[in-house]
Amino acid sequence: MDAITIEALSKTFKGKRGRSVEALQGLQLSIPPGEVFGFLGPNGAGKSTTIKILMGLIRATGGQASIMGIPVSSHTARRNVGYLPENPSFYDYLTAEEYLNFTGKMFGMTGPMLHERSQAMLHRLDLWEARQRPIRTYSKGMTQRLGLAQALLHDPQVYILDEPMSGLDPIGRALVKEIILELKAAGKCVFFSTHITSDAEAICDRVGIILQGRLQCVERVETIMTPDAELSPGDSAQQSLEKFFLEIVRKGSH
Amino acid sequence: MHHLILITWKGLLRDRILQGILVATGIFLFIPSVSVLSMRQVGELAITLSLSLTSFILLLIAIFCGGTALWKDIDRHSIYSVLGLPISRTNYLLGKFFGIAGFLLLISLVLGLLASATIWYVSLTDPPARPILWTNILMALTFDCLKYIMVVAVSFLFSTVSTSFFLPIFGTITLFLGGNVTQEVYDYLQTPAGAALPALTKQIALFLYYLLPNFAVFDLKANAVYSIPLPANGILLPLAYSLAYCGLLLSAAAMLFTRRELH
Ligand SMILES: Nc1ncnc2c1ncn2[C@@H]1O[C@H](COP(=O)(O)OP(=O)(O)OP(=O)(O)O)[C@@H](O)[C@H]1O
Ligand SMILES: [Mg+2]
Repeated sequence: MDAITIEALSKTFKGKRGRSVEALQGLQLSIPPGEVFGFLGPNGAGKSTTIKILMGLIRATGGQASIMGIPVSSHTARRNVGYLPENPSFYDYLTAEEYLNFTGKMFGMTGPMLHERSQAMLHRLDLWEARQRPIRTYSKGMTQRLGLAQALLHDPQVYILDEPMSGLDPIGRALVKEIILELKAAGKCVFFSTHITSDAEAICDRVGIILQGRLQCVERVETIMTPDAELSPGDSAQQSLEKFFLEIVRKGSH
Repeated sequence: MHHLILITWKGLLRDRILQGILVATGIFLFIPSVSVLSMRQVGELAITLSLSLTSFILLLIAIFCGGTALWKDIDRHSIYSVLGLPISRTNYLLGKFFGIAGFLLLISLVLGLLASATIWYVSLTDPPARPILWTNILMALTFDCLKYIMVVAVSFLFSTVSTSFFLPIFGTITLFLGGNVTQEVYDYLQTPAGAALPALTKQIALFLYYLLPNFAVFDLKANAVYSIPLPANGILLPLAYSLAYCGLLLSAAAMLFTRRELH
């Protein structure tokens, strides 16, 4: 069974005066367990829209999606998921410790197990010193780290991260990459959106490139990086995901 | 769901504005005890003042907390992180609602105790004409609290279809004012003068009478102030009524909220 299945997913936002935005058109994608998948696309391509549908925050206009075989319309699908929203925000009157305690309980964790795990995550994401301060006082990067700590807390099978590196300093970004690779080694599925191609290049097994709501291609990173591959456009001297991405975007936009 | 209730509680207890309101109320509640020095008939007056003040504060809290609860979560985007947890929209809504309802109960208890202390203190120096019936005062407070829990349910219904706090707050205030007069309008329709009104007007008034919450049935202030015995069915009926009405409001709210898109 695939960790994430997306079938013919489409989303149209109805605007005022009949104007509407087709944010997503016929998206078809499935991601097996143990894979790190990078979802790439320029601003406004439809990455967050896809993720919000997966998390049941908005409803698809057409098609369907499921996580570990459970349709995303059911809240039980989210039991298997660690989710990091784009620019996350939490109940800011709580401290990081209280917040993790709360979310852990929502996932059915209890007692010493929860305590231990939450302490470990606070250490791991370098929030230990700040753990007893209200989230209100956190910097952008600290809030982002807390979001990651929350996504990791209950050790789920699937991770859906909307721009996990955003707002993080180089140390934080290196840490996130390290964590994602550990998750992969543990056989978890990680689906994350980004527009930083070098990050995706370093950690992804496969990437999908989306442009104006349409998936342009899904390819293994190895294949893209191999010179002379049929897919790789232009000269072959130094392949990079960035070149590939820009080429796809250029082709796609006319 | 109870985890969400506890979190909601924490948020309310840590809210600066609410803390301010509560401290101010505590101080104001002592005004009746000061009035002993200057006025007559202070026994009744003390009860009236204390109960009215308590009632007013509960109303403020109900409208303020009920009307902004969902809006705050949506406006600050914290709703994404909460609804990313395995909780259904209905349970999220109920968690928030019971959090606020529980908070109202707690505040009623605290203010009720303060009010009782004041009334008791005043009655020492200036005993009222009729002995104070403490059960009546307790019932008046309880019913007030029930009424404001209904107000919270009303504000939740408005919140589920609104993107700002404008409709929840002002819609609830409007409905609250309306809900307080429907009984009077209904009674007026039964008089000869009322019967002479055009049929359409009467139909509309009747429709509103059944649709809007009827808050008049929760008013036991007169019984408390003048120690009038409580009506027997005047207790069970409003209780059942408020439960049923809240149930309907919350079901509608849950239905609307489940279908809502959270971009
Ligand atoms: N609530 C909405 N109403 C109307 N259009 C919307 C709404 N939300 C998103 N869109 C449109 O849908 C498209 C996709 O948006 P989305 O947020 O998915 O982009 P994205 O790929 O996440 O971009 P970014 O990299 O900037 O985060 C955009 O054109 C956006 O304008
Ligand atoms: Mg986005």
